[in-house]
Amino acid sequence: MVKHEDVRAEAKKLLESGKVKYIIAYELGADGWKANPVFIKKPEDVDKIIWGPTCFHNLIRFVVDEKRRKVQQKNPDTRPVGVMVKGCDSRAIVILLQEKFIERKDVHIIGVSCEKTGVIDERKLANKLKGRKAKNVEFGPDENFVVTTEEGTVDLPASEIMADRCLECIAHVPVITDVLFGEKTKRTVPHPFGSVEKIETLSSEDRWKFWSEQLEKCVRCYACRSVCPMCYCDECVADTITFAVSPDTTAEEKAQKIKWLDKSPVISENIFYHMVRAIHLAGRCIDCGECERACPVNIPLRMLNKKLEKEAKLLFGYDVGFDSEKPALISCFRDEDPEDFIR
Amino acid sequence: MDKILAKKDFPRWLEALGAYDVYAPQLIDDVWNYELATDRKAVSLDYPQTAIPAKKIVFPQREFFFEFREADTDDYKLKELLPEGKPTVIFGVRACEGKAVTLTDLVFGGEIADDYYWKRRNAAVLVGLACASPPSTNCFCLSVNGSPHSKEGLDVLMTDLGDQYYVEILTDKGKKLVSEGGAIFHEAKPPDKKAAEKIHADSEKKLARELKNIKDVPAKLKGMFASPFWDDESMSCIRCGICTYLCPTCHCFDINDEVESQTPLAGRRVRTWDTCQFPDFTMHSSGHNPRPDKAARLRQRINHKFQYFVEVWQNYQCTGCGRCITLCPVGIDIIKVVEKVRDHAN
Repeated sequence: MVKHEDVRAEAKKLLESGKVKYIIAYELGADGWKANPVFIKKPEDVDKIIWGPTCFHNLIRFVVDEKRRKVQQKNPDTRPVGVMVKGCDSRAIVILLQEKFIERKDVHIIGVSCEKTGVIDERKLANKLKGRKAKNVEFGPDENFVVTTEEGTVDLPASEIMADRCLECIAHVPVITDVLFGEKTKRTVPHPFGSVEKIETLSSEDRWKFWSEQLEKCVRCYACRSVCPMCYCDECVADTITFAVSPDTTAEEKAQKIKWLDKSPVISENIFYHMVRAIHLAGRCIDCGECERACPVNIPLRMLNKKLEKEAKLLFGYDVGFDSEKPALISCFRDEDPEDFIR
Repeated sequence: MDKILAKKDFPRWLEALGAYDVYAPQLIDDVWNYELATDRKAVSLDYPQTAIPAKKIVFPQREFFFEFREADTDDYKLKELLPEGKPTVIFGVRACEGKAVTLTDLVFGGEIADDYYWKRRNAAVLVGLACASPPSTNCFCLSVNGSPHSKEGLDVLMTDLGDQYYVEILTDKGKKLVSEGGAIFHEAKPPDKKAAEKIHADSEKKLARELKNIKDVPAKLKGMFASPFWDDESMSCIRCGICTYLCPTCHCFDINDEVESQTPLAGRRVRTWDTCQFPDFTMHSSGHNPRPDKAARLRQRINHKFQYFVEVWQNYQCTGCGRCITLCPVGIDIIKVVEKVRDHAN
């Protein structure tokens, strides 16, 4: 089991020695049971750091922010930032390294193993608790969670309340770290693409109906994009107006900038937005599932990316986010790559 | 006079409202939202809180202003597309959302009334449901001049008494709506009133969260505009639109032309929700953005709700529904932020 004290001691050591600028970690939120991202700058604040089954967030999202901030600064502090990562999150670092968005020396990686489980799915838990409010959720000794409500403590198996992403996880131990907490447990995942395979059995009409209904719900808050550590473009087709203009850009040039999609949350535009995102994540999505968790209307967005992860695996034998020395899927070509799907 | 409606008669009331579009909370893919009730028998008011507030019915995320079409001459043919104003009832409206609509009324009313808004607003009947217990763990309506059983903005207020509802008629629109139900409504008796009052009084004690002593916050915020406080507070913000799109009082919008044909040039001018949390919200055509980062945008959200709105309308532009806290993917907590502002050294 990962002990809070060990992670805190490591964080303290890193901050006291000045080895890192600050540490991106998890703290307990105001509701008293869920974790929130926290930025620890002083050694005396390390006791805020927690680890548990509500540490949903992929904190690499904030490594991306740090890079953005750094390029704006005249004399940036070039020390690394410390960051707590789960297995899935660590794969995001691999992608950022492959794409040369960050350098290895930019991050000090504090890995935590998810050991036998992972993070919970809040909606699954709420359904399970039927109106009772969770007060605390902890890892159980086996593949289970210990949930405390106002009515007492219950033991719930991982299969019932764990997030889908964790049920299909192929990297529960971080793949790249400077220090690792927790055991390198062995785990077999019989159906890593189980959720996708379920929908693949549907006819194309039924799939169209399914996705139309799902994407119709989208309110285009862009939380899926905003929470994604791989969606780091400064300019996004979703808000084209951020495409670079300067005081020298003429009115004609501005008028000619393509408006890729309308702001209206209608099915054509919603599908366009989500397809653009899915395609841009092909061979890049590391299945942290944050898009799906953040979605306020519960669109199963993870499935879109999982499908492309499967394609990359089947067509090119490419495993996303495991080896930072390998070229990125989209930027390499091998003679033996299949091309029979090009017609 | 207040009325009593047996729960078993509730579907009959809904069926009697044939002339109205009826919206009620419905559970779709584990998320509650106000949706058009196609099966009126299935409507139940046993629900916690919707993700998207009822504002989406009076102020839809997308609406049309007019259509345009290139005519033979150099001119354009324009046709205004005002909403029909079809009578609409929204059931299960929480007190914080009813109050929120009164705040949106201020914005779209006044000297120049927004016809598009008012067509829908005037046609909408808001039937409230008093919160016997807080629908969300982040409810804090009492701290921002509200209450779990506030009547503000509502036409009817229903209180769940177990197997019946206590029904308070608050406006003429509400009176008409109740009269459609005819004999299924009975006169409330003094013990019923007492029971409802007890539920109301008890509900006020059940809120888990509060935001105390904030009367100096507007002035405080004024002095904190340039403070590095906002950089620290916004560190975990991911710049999505959840806090504002799903806020019952946020009302900012964008106007665009959606072109449907190039020759002849034709299309519609549409209004859609917009949010101060997106970078393009304040982007100038020069390329300058006066709110260049997420610190400036978080500050804008808090300042609008707890300073600017107070200065203009003498009320907080927050009704304490807690959605922005519950649904924020990174747990940014408006209560905590405002408390820190309150306690911030001058």
